[in-house]
Amino acid sequence: MEESKPASQSSSSPAAESETNRRDFLSSCSGAAMAFGLVGSYGTLVAMAGRFLYPANPDPKAWIYLAHVDEVPPGQSLEFKTPLGSPVVVARLGKGDHVEDYIALSSVCPHLGCQVFWEPQNDRFFCPCHNGTFDRTGKATGGPPAKANQNLVRFPLRLEGGSLFIQVPLVGPTQSLVGRSRRHEPGEV
Amino acid sequence: MGAIARWFQERIPISGDQLRELTNEPVPHHLKRWWFCLGGTPAYLFVVQIVTGILLAFYYQPSPSTAYESVQFITEEAYYGWFLRGLHKWGATFMVAAVILHQMRVYFTGAFRKPRDLNWIVGMCLLLCTLMIGFTGYSLVFEQLSYWGATVAGNLTEQVPLVGPVFKRLLLGGEHYNPRTLSRFFILHAAVLPVTMLFLLAIHITLIRLHGVTEFHDEDEEEPQYFNFFPDHFYTELIIGLVLMIILSFLATTFPVQMGPKADPLHTPEIIKPEWYFYVMFRWLKLFSIGTAVLSIGLIIFAMFAWPWIDALLRRLGWENASVYIGIVAVLALVGLTVWEALVPH
Repeated sequence: MEESKPASQSSSSPAAESETNRRDFLSSCSGAAMAFGLVGSYGTLVAMAGRFLYPANPDPKAWIYLAHVDEVPPGQSLEFKTPLGSPVVVARLGKGDHVEDYIALSSVCPHLGCQVFWEPQNDRFFCPCHNGTFDRTGKATGGPPAKANQNLVRFPLRLEGGSLFIQVPLVGPTQSLVGRSRRHEPGEV
Repeated sequence: MGAIARWFQERIPISGDQLRELTNEPVPHHLKRWWFCLGGTPAYLFVVQIVTGILLAFYYQPSPSTAYESVQFITEEAYYGWFLRGLHKWGATFMVAAVILHQMRVYFTGAFRKPRDLNWIVGMCLLLCTLMIGFTGYSLVFEQLSYWGATVAGNLTEQVPLVGPVFKRLLLGGEHYNPRTLSRFFILHAAVLPVTMLFLLAIHITLIRLHGVTEFHDEDEEEPQYFNFFPDHFYTELIIGLVLMIILSFLATTFPVQMGPKADPLHTPEIIKPEWYFYVMFRWLKLFSIGTAVLSIGLIIFAMFAWPWIDALLRRLGWENASVYIGIVAVLALVGLTVWEALVPH
């Protein structure tokens, strides 16, 4: 801040100087209070705006009935489509009757989100976008996902009285981009 | 620090003194009184509306199947959504009030007279834009009030002689309220009207700067006194802005905006009223037949636009203070009709 100059030579007496200093000090204080108020109030608003724009809640999920355990013998798998349409592979890897013996793998490549597909001849999942490969447990075995140790995402499973349930998302790109759109028929309002 | 300042100075070759010179104008001493700062108040609130409006538009979805739910999401789920919507709603109320008070101040101090008559017209356009942006704003929520307000406005527009039916179709995007109406209102509210207002504001402020602020001198004052726009008056406006923000935050928190019942095209609520700034028009429509009401409203708006010349004519006829008395009657009628409408259910 610029130092204020004395108005005239005669005002540079000790009393006048002290008056000037006091005035400068009070002026600095009020300036600082103003700056603090401005930064505090509008800063709070900016922080609120940032939080407002950041998505509020995690996407909703639901438990859905999948199959009876008898339908998936040990070593077998079944393909399931979530309500959003994305394929999920559910396999019974273990011989036991516990939920840990089952695995449900997402078909979304953890690298950049393309859909993987099963290659029976190679006994692996393959991502056509960047050549990512995964073994039957979803572990990345080749391509960019293996380098970053990005495995296929596992969906939570639950076993209740011989029935297998899966927890799946209810909101996703397939729903918002495809699921809701509908062609209007001629004559329809 | 010096190096950074030099970097900018080389690329933006303007000094602090030059900037001060450029933005400065001598401000007459009477602007120290706060009611003369009512012009800057709507401008500040306009900025608040733009900022909060842009934030709300991130979540708002203008279609009959999504509008109400998206506003509900903003109000009930998005973080601070209730607060930002509250600021927007209360900001709108204050902006309309500030514009009306500013216009009253200009009117009663005779600041609309030549050579500022053209700026009065620009101000009138800004008033109409403010009312329209308020109306299109609450129409977006898709509450009962939004739907029936838009329906009434559409039918009212239709009554305007010659151009009415065409304007109604343009406003609603059809003969009646339909699935395309909301997106029209949204574009009007969030793009057409704000841009028009920015353009009008630029003209309004340019004309003020060209003519200077209207001067009033006390008779006992020997020399007219002035102070600097920057920083003195700028600081005043800054403080007014902060005080307004405190009031708006208080109101948004204490009286948060609620969700009204969702629009139901088959059922008009028993008691329905527009926002308070349309109470006058609402009561007027109840007092007179539709034709008389629309014609008289049109005539009143025309008279308001033409007032600088009507006033000049009255003064030439020797009625020096006629404008003041007419103004008092108009304000009393405005307040009276508003209070009347506010107090009775029907």
